[in-house]
Amino acid sequence: MSNSPAPNKQWKISRIELETWLDEIAVARTLIAPRLVSGIFLYRHVTNSSEIAWSEEKSESPHTSRPILSSKEVFFPPTERLFTIQKSGQEIHLEENYPNWETVVFGVRPCDARGVKLLDAVFMDTIPVDSCFARRRGNTTLIGMACKELNSNCFCTSVGGAPDDAHDMDIMLYEADGEYLVEAVTEKGRFLIPGGEWKETSETPPKSTSNGQFPIPQKGKWLEHFNDDYWIKISERCLSCRACAYVCPTCRCFMVRDEMIQPGEFERIRCWDSCGGENYRRVAGGHKPRAEKGERLRNRFYCKFYYYPEQYGLNAESACTGCGRCIEVCPAGVDITEVLLDLEKSV
Amino acid sequence: MLPTLGKLVKVRDLADEIKLLRVELLDGRSEAFKTCQPGQFAFVSAFGLGEAPFGIANAAERGPEVDFAVARLGTVTTGLHELGEGDIVGVRGPLGNWFPMKKFQGKDLVILGGGIGGAPLRPVIQHVLEHRSNYGNLSILWAARRPDLLVFSDEYDEWRTAPNTTLFLTVDSPDEGWNHNVGLITQLLEKVSPSMENAITITCGPPIMIHFVTKMLQEKMGVPPKDNYVTLEARMHCGMGKCGRCNLGEKLVCVDGPVFNMEEVGKLLETFL
Ligand SMILES: Cc1cc2nc3c(=O)[nH]c(=O)nc-3n(C[C@H](O)[C@H](O)[C@H](O)COP(=O)(O)OP(=O)(O)OC[C@H]3O[C@@H](n4cnc5c(N)ncnc54)[C@H](O)[C@@H]3O)c2cc1C
Ligand code: SF4
Repeated sequence: MSNSPAPNKQWKISRIELETWLDEIAVARTLIAPRLVSGIFLYRHVTNSSEIAWSEEKSESPHTSRPILSSKEVFFPPTERLFTIQKSGQEIHLEENYPNWETVVFGVRPCDARGVKLLDAVFMDTIPVDSCFARRRGNTTLIGMACKELNSNCFCTSVGGAPDDAHDMDIMLYEADGEYLVEAVTEKGRFLIPGGEWKETSETPPKSTSNGQFPIPQKGKWLEHFNDDYWIKISERCLSCRACAYVCPTCRCFMVRDEMIQPGEFERIRCWDSCGGENYRRVAGGHKPRAEKGERLRNRFYCKFYYYPEQYGLNAESACTGCGRCIEVCPAGVDITEVLLDLEKSV
Repeated sequence: MLPTLGKLVKVRDLADEIKLLRVELLDGRSEAFKTCQPGQFAFVSAFGLGEAPFGIANAAERGPEVDFAVARLGTVTTGLHELGEGDIVGVRGPLGNWFPMKKFQGKDLVILGGGIGGAPLRPVIQHVLEHRSNYGNLSILWAARRPDLLVFSDEYDEWRTAPNTTLFLTVDSPDEGWNHNVGLITQLLEKVSPSMENAITITCGPPIMIHFVTKMLQEKMGVPPKDNYVTLEARMHCGMGKCGRCNLGEKLVCVDGPVFNMEEVGKLLETFL
């Protein structure tokens, strides 16, 4: 199904219609949505709409809760099997295991959809195409939900996003007074809309409140301040726990290794990793670049705002989506917005 | 990230804890390496343990088998050392950029290899020997900590006897039979002092060696940074610009390198040291 834009079409549906639709989707495909799992919200498989974590249970303006991990994990799981290895004597047999099921992710926030788009730049738009990511991406439809306003740690509007930005979705939902305006953004999204049953509308989607914008330092600033002591100071309290990288919608560093399934059978897996780790770059012979915590934390910020856009030719200014998860999760109070403001102010 | 299967057709000791693995690619996949250029690398799998990157150690002209010189340092390299002829490995490549050998034609070449760093330089030497008249003088400065760590010693005669080719050896700690230079490669370089008038220099070895050698070439011998080539090593897990591990500032060693000239290195935001 193509990602090309759909002819602009909109529908207005009730909460009941929304739930019925999601229930139907859940029968034919894998439906992934925010779900409460042992006390935390995660994007997880749901078998019907009642398992979805609506932020205000059955209230008049239901919205989905925001998961702790971004929707990155749907396309780029924390641990993923690349292929299996069968070994018997001198014989080796390899088999790739592609995910080939149709998936729908519901309740995606604009910042998360943007994160997925930024991952496309690495895994799909830069040759060679990463087949595991591409397969998952091709099989998946994103149904977004516009946020009404920015939450306390959000800053999407400062990095080019918006709480009601439908760009990176396949379908976008806007909630107003307990009803939902449904917009088909791509052809792929249009394909999921039930024909004829829904009431078409020409209403314009409601605007969200987009406040709190601040300027992001431009390339020159980053170049100028690379060697500042600031990076050492700011990292003093960092624990190198790497939680910030795991919750980030665009951190995509991974490591690859083999694991034994049973004697004679192995799998090559890749799993999330982070430039914050002390041994992350250690090479043969013991040479250990970026040994200092400050150098590693600096790399994280530079990657988001300078390296990643340069490496993957983004026409975006940054690979940060402004979701604010890293601020929420950091046990040491490292705040990316504080870093951006400090850098912007510095001379 | 699926590797091609390859059969080990030759395994031999190159130096202490360093083995040469010669791989014949199976399933008609040797085509991919026919156009392989000196300086490129590939990931080699020891199935069940993992894969690691290694410089391709022979020139395409010396194919179709592909050579790797593997120093035993950890999990994968130990796994590879335990394999023997007839065993199957995985090969993913060729990856990365290469030395612009065409651009070097008509120039003198000074090649400086330290330890296992000699591996990715062997295809350069072989390429020059295969097309000898296209290049000027070839000076090879080859170093190791000890004589038993010098790689490709059984090929030195071939190198020495080639036209306009000179080989200089040095070790930090000599043994009894040693009758070549003793000392660091920088000392050897100063002593030999090859003409840099019309020369390209190519260095590979531990980061600290690259640092001091390239510095001496530039500051004492007047080699312009753009003619001062190195091949850098960084930890990497995919070799395709995805896994993010090998960045030096905004450059990725796996796809923008591993070959750089010092003009490019000078522009990097981060040092390779
Ligand atoms: C472009 C390139 C070319 C290389 N060419 C050669 C070569 O021709 N011959 C050779 O013997 N070695 C070469 N290396 C180094 C070789 O990749 C490592 O020695 C190997 O990865 C170690 O793997 P291991 O599983 O045995 O070690 P591990 O058990 O993983 O660790 C042992 C040591 O190796 C380091 N290491 C682990 N993985 C890597 C990695 N992917 N890259 C670099 N260091 C790593 C570890 O930090 C540790 O210090 C090259 C590396 C690169 C990046
Ligand atoms: S979450 Fe905070 S403490 Fe942990 S690595 Fe990130 S910045 Fe450091």
